[in-house]
Amino acid sequence: MFKDVALGQYYQASSFVHRLDPRFKILALIAYIVAIFLSENFYGLGMCALLLLLTIAFSKVPLGKVIKAVKGILFLLVFTAIIQLFFYKPNENAVVWVKWWVITITDQAVFFTLFLLLRLSLLVMVASMLTYTTTPVSLTDGLESLLTPLKVVRFPVHELALIMSIALRFIPTLMEETERIMNAQKARGADFESGGLMKRAKAVVPILIPLLISSFRRAEELGDAMDARCYAGSKVRTKYKKLTFSWRDLLAFFIMAALVTGVVLFNVYLGGVV
Amino acid sequence: MYIEVERLSYSYNPTSPSAYALKDVSLTIEEGAFFGIIGHTGSGKSTFVQHLNALITLPTAEKKFKPKKGVAYPSIRIGDFDLADKHTDWKALRSKVGIVFQYPEYQLFAESVKEDVAFGLKNFSQTPLTPEETEAHVKEALTAVGLNYEEVKDASPFDLSGGQKRRVAIAGVIVTKPEILVLDEPAAGLDPLGKREIMGLLHSLHRSWCKTIVIVSHDMDEIGENCTKVAVFADGELKFLLPPSELFLHDEELEALGLDIPTTAKVRRALKERGISVDTDFTSEDFARQILALGGRHV
Repeated sequence: MFKDVALGQYYQASSFVHRLDPRFKILALIAYIVAIFLSENFYGLGMCALLLLLTIAFSKVPLGKVIKAVKGILFLLVFTAIIQLFFYKPNENAVVWVKWWVITITDQAVFFTLFLLLRLSLLVMVASMLTYTTTPVSLTDGLESLLTPLKVVRFPVHELALIMSIALRFIPTLMEETERIMNAQKARGADFESGGLMKRAKAVVPILIPLLISSFRRAEELGDAMDARCYAGSKVRTKYKKLTFSWRDLLAFFIMAALVTGVVLFNVYLGGVV
Repeated sequence: MYIEVERLSYSYNPTSPSAYALKDVSLTIEEGAFFGIIGHTGSGKSTFVQHLNALITLPTAEKKFKPKKGVAYPSIRIGDFDLADKHTDWKALRSKVGIVFQYPEYQLFAESVKEDVAFGLKNFSQTPLTPEETEAHVKEALTAVGLNYEEVKDASPFDLSGGQKRRVAIAGVIVTKPEILVLDEPAAGLDPLGKREIMGLLHSLHRSWCKTIVIVSHDMDEIGENCTKVAVFADGELKFLLPPSELFLHDEELEALGLDIPTTAKVRRALKERGISVDTDFTSEDFARQILALGGRHV
């Protein structure tokens, strides 16, 4: 039943995008999202889309995999489209394309809907690109490094990063365990597939409790193992892999800067979508 | 009930068919057998066991199954149950074929031992049982695994010792009186005394309720002492299907598969290298007898 869940969806490849510094990739993602939201017309958004396509091409991640990410929010997209099409408030220049009963669809509504759909799709695709090209470990490493300034206000950055990487590490283990416990309870006649909501909720108890107990056991064992290897938190810890910025990051930085500038210029000189 | 498996193949990842967990396995387990399954980690033993309870269903029993011409599909029959038929009542099957998985104590969840043992009973019974009936069954199951019902019934299963937990978990499976009991590594992780007790318990179950017992094990002594017939799995294939007395004559082939042989077989080999041949069925009892019979001549 867990075969279809795509987790830790890292796509193994050796590419320009894969080799970028994770810290830069996180910042670039933020900059890209800002650019998407700054765009007021199709030119700006088109530029974002072009850059995304280039990134995908240079990352060696198959286009189909990135488009799959959009499938995940298909319902949201359809819902947004319907709402926008019917309830968009056009101004006086609008041309009515469809008028039937209480429904009026104008050219402005259509353009604006397309604009929104493109914006949402780009957002999801670019976020998936980050996880496709960055391993969970280097992602948490990058995040830890980016959050370092928060240490000044005594925010436990290192611990947070550790919690994140442990959580990621144990997801597959827990799924395996769940499957094993489910099989054991099914063999004792448990039924997870039929009955009403209450019955199904009740049926989960014989899975959850053993799972919870074994998680505590695992946590204790992991804690012991860490103690045994003299883990003592962030103070005395050095990094095995040091993050360093390279010429790739510099190049990519200029591209991102150009994108944001371009979007702003398009906004100023070409105006809004409608 | 007997178990009859034909042409069983299974792959966890159908898109790369090279990675078969089971390849064309056919075997029969007769009623009354104390059947052993041995094999390496990843040899397909567990996959095989899960098939016996339809936890992994055969392709022909899938909801969206479309038959292809010219394909010989696997079939499993357990008594009257046809596991290749999607209309078979899995629940009824599971009440007749009990499976005790590896480390069964990790499936315990209820507040008290008696509730945990009654879990399967409640799930399987067609009509709700009265509290008295339930108690009678639970008491019987707990007594059968060698626990004192009055002592443990209200205890939390999490407060028990490791060996006791395992007994409670086994009681939770045998409470419905399955005719076939399958145990995956029933003695794993127990101390020698605990191991002996569990095996003794299985023998007494074999004599009383469960006509057929199937154990999966790594421990060759355990297999050699107890089983009437043994299946050896390697890389998803069935390599041997023999009684222990014949199987352990293939000691070199077993070791080539990365498997161990019982102590009796090792001693027999060591004696053979010194020119003494012992004819035994590899149980320690018989082995001792044969040695004593030789004694006069060689010492």
